[in-house]
Amino acid sequence: MVSLTRFASRGLLAAALSSLLAHGAAAQEIVFKDQENREIKLAKAAERIVSIVIPMASTVIALDGGTKRLVGMNPTAKSAVLEGILSKIFPETKDIPSDVTAPNFVPNIEALTATNPDLVIQWGGRGTDIVAPITNAGLNAMLILYGTEQLTRDYMTMTSRAIGKPERIKELVEWRDRVQKDIEAKAKAIPEDKKPTTLYIARALTEIATTGTKGSYNAWYMELVGGRNASAELNGTVTINKEQIAQWDPEVIFLNAFEARLNVDWVYNDPILSLTKAARNKRVYKMPLGGYRWDPPNQESPLAWMWTANLTQPDVFKYDLRAEMKTAYKTLYNYDITDADIDGILWIKEQSGSANYAQFKAK
Amino acid sequence: MAALTEDEAAPIVRSHLARQTLVFAALLALFAVAFVVSLCVGRFSVPAGRALELIWLGATDPWRELTTIEERIVLLVRAPRVVLAALAGAGLALSGAALQGVFRNPLVSPDILGISQGAAFGGALGIMLGIWGFPLIAMVFISGIAAVILVGLIACVNGRSETITVILSGLVVSSMFSAVVSLLQFIADPNTSLPAIVYWLMGSFATATWERTLIAAPGLIIGGVLLWMLRFRLNILSLDEAEAQSLGARTNRERWLVFGLIAVIVGSQVAVSGIIGWIGIVIPHASRLLVGHDHRALLPASVVLGAGFMVIIDTLARTATAAEIPLGVITALVGAPIFAMLLRNHYRERNGS
Amino acid sequence: MIGLEDATVRFGSRTIIEALSFSVPAGRTLAVLGPNGRGKTTTLKAMLGFQQLDGGRRVAPDIVGYVPQTGTSNQRYRALDVVVMGRAAHLGIFGQPGPEDFGIARSALDRAGAARFADHYFDRLSGGERQLVLLARAIATGSQVLVLDEPAAALDLHNQERLLALLNTLRQPRDKAIVFTTHDPNHALSSADDALLMMPGGQTPLFGPVAETITPEHLESLYGVPMRVVELAGPSGETHRAVLPAFAGIRAA
Repeated sequence: MVSLTRFASRGLLAAALSSLLAHGAAAQEIVFKDQENREIKLAKAAERIVSIVIPMASTVIALDGGTKRLVGMNPTAKSAVLEGILSKIFPETKDIPSDVTAPNFVPNIEALTATNPDLVIQWGGRGTDIVAPITNAGLNAMLILYGTEQLTRDYMTMTSRAIGKPERIKELVEWRDRVQKDIEAKAKAIPEDKKPTTLYIARALTEIATTGTKGSYNAWYMELVGGRNASAELNGTVTINKEQIAQWDPEVIFLNAFEARLNVDWVYNDPILSLTKAARNKRVYKMPLGGYRWDPPNQESPLAWMWTANLTQPDVFKYDLRAEMKTAYKTLYNYDITDADIDGILWIKEQSGSANYAQFKAK
Repeated sequence: MAALTEDEAAPIVRSHLARQTLVFAALLALFAVAFVVSLCVGRFSVPAGRALELIWLGATDPWRELTTIEERIVLLVRAPRVVLAALAGAGLALSGAALQGVFRNPLVSPDILGISQGAAFGGALGIMLGIWGFPLIAMVFISGIAAVILVGLIACVNGRSETITVILSGLVVSSMFSAVVSLLQFIADPNTSLPAIVYWLMGSFATATWERTLIAAPGLIIGGVLLWMLRFRLNILSLDEAEAQSLGARTNRERWLVFGLIAVIVGSQVAVSGIIGWIGIVIPHASRLLVGHDHRALLPASVVLGAGFMVIIDTLARTATAAEIPLGVITALVGAPIFAMLLRNHYRERNGS
Repeated sequence: MIGLEDATVRFGSRTIIEALSFSVPAGRTLAVLGPNGRGKTTTLKAMLGFQQLDGGRRVAPDIVGYVPQTGTSNQRYRALDVVVMGRAAHLGIFGQPGPEDFGIARSALDRAGAARFADHYFDRLSGGERQLVLLARAIATGSQVLVLDEPAAALDLHNQERLLALLNTLRQPRDKAIVFTTHDPNHALSSADDALLMMPGGQTPLFGPVAETITPEHLESLYGVPMRVVELAGPSGETHRAVLPAFAGIRAA
């Protein structure tokens, strides 16, 4: 409840949530406001949830501690599930339909209705065209907003209320809060000139894209762990060229986990990128793919921050990531993760040549 | 009806020749300046003097090992990109000029044959399937050519094809392919393939390397040289059907030869740099104003002006901001107003005469 | 030589020309006469090979010097460049005209009396001037056959006279087969050896020497108007024949 009280001071939304908590337990009805300030009424805890939002599919599984409630997801979310560890932990995920929406979030209303969902999680802030079909079909749409850690915690909290497991979110949010505060405290001591410039490559293979700082979750946690976003001058995710990367000359490069065929050799084999400080010091890393891709906000984000922290400021941060992962996977999925699983998630084999990567190897 | 003596006719000829020479000299100078300046500017700061020195070294000793970042930026990033932009601009402008002659219509662009949309389909499908590098280029090229063949199959009735049928068939094939491209965009991954497809559809030389330039060069150069060799024939083909035939042209067959060459040129360009609009229509038009309609002067003028213009546009695209600006955006912003102006002049003059 | 043998052209169920035979050997000039809509143009196209025949065959050399009525004017070419296009058939598809071809083009312009337009833009010339340039182009093909489509239709009387004089100059060496269409029988009398009369009502067209075909009776049935032939004294004493419709010379009341 500590964290919830803290939320209440932050705005209407959280206030609504805490008031719902007060009588929500007595009456079966669940009433709350989503991130577009729409009121949502559920007669009882949602048992059938469709997530049109990509990373929320695996978050629903984590909040529920199983796959029972997730009855539909985005095809792109499903590919992450199939490529990653979730299909091993929960083999039945491969049977969850993904025809409920196009990857671009336009729902297929017939397929969606056929799953008979109590609640449909959809993006807010992207216009009504992707929402109206859901509400017109008489379904409950919960709209969430992308971008910051706070929004992420809020919509995760909201979802756990909706499924009638308010107690479940506490440990997850507390974990996020604890890790964030711990990182913040340690990073505070880092002088500005000891902060390396870091570059997150959002797309590489067909064209090179990266993100500015404003509204970017990746930039947020790179700066959280004591890095400086090399591409801070950009607005949003845009295409750039190699010459621009050479000009920025980042000290650390993080490659996205979205492009399955992308790996660190893309940087090392490139005549220009291989001359950047990051490449010369072997500080190029591909983001891990665990229960979901670690790049965007998701249920495993604290692991992503710790991984980024250990690599960005190896002298400051010495998290035992393997141990953290074991705990986290037990909590999130009630799964005892094996050393081989961890090696796969962290690309131990592929990135063993990278600087500071030996720390992640099994002891 | 006495014939004029040579002396009376000569001054006009000389002034015509002098004018053409002057125009070509100016165009070549413009291109040369654009080319060199483009190599000297970029997001990575290399002093202009150093850049010029590096260009000289690169030109005189191309196999030298490049170790410093400056050398690599100028000779491995900028040089192939500028060369590719020049080749692509030249090819597009040349194709536009030839096509407008063959169609006897100054308002058509190479897109009319369905190449761009066909190629877009190949590109979008390739990106969706996670294909990249050379196989993607091949896929784009083949689907562009396939679109033109499809247009040919639809337009040919009894072994002949009227220009209007070709234009309409091109329209049909284009809309068909663009519908499929939309469908592919609809099902593309919004995190990776969708933005890549969208960006690619707007055209860019951002991914240029010597390798890609060399892949595109043969199609662009061979197609271009053959079109240039056809320059006098294009004059004939630009006449009414009956006139052209009476002068010995097998119009149907020769027109398709021109279409085929254009398909090779545009296909090669699209394969490495996506869809770039407007060049194929604005540049030939501007060239016509400068050197007249005779294809023997129009084609080379379009080549030089197209190359120079494309280099300038691409330099803007890569230097104006830290982010790459899609070429389609700039060519449309620059091209559409120029085209509107040319269009008004064209009809004002026509009504005046 | 140029001509048709047993040529038939149908548009759907309509027969435009049927079993038409005639030939124009080198050295002779044929005038194709008739009001509009009798198949003059179709006959011309058939001769040139632009019109597919439903029967019979066409006899013609590979290249025929064709002078269209107007000529393409949506492209801006210099008159000399238009004329040099006549050399296309000799240059092949990838060929470029050389100094020799330009020489031929200039002398063709000379013969057509259009040399002074050589460096003018074709699309800026008057109708009559364009026709001269197109005639020069036909000459520049080097073909022994010239076919002119209504060469006088757009010309005023002065220019008609000049054109006919020019045709006669071209006829003079008697080395070319020349065909032109016209609706004025006087043009045939002035500049043709033979005439082809496109008779009405599906009758077989009449083909023969001018003296035999251009008669009041034939012309009356050709045009549906009573006609007279009058004889006039020429400037140097010789006799000229002229054709007039019967209404000519009647004073308005």
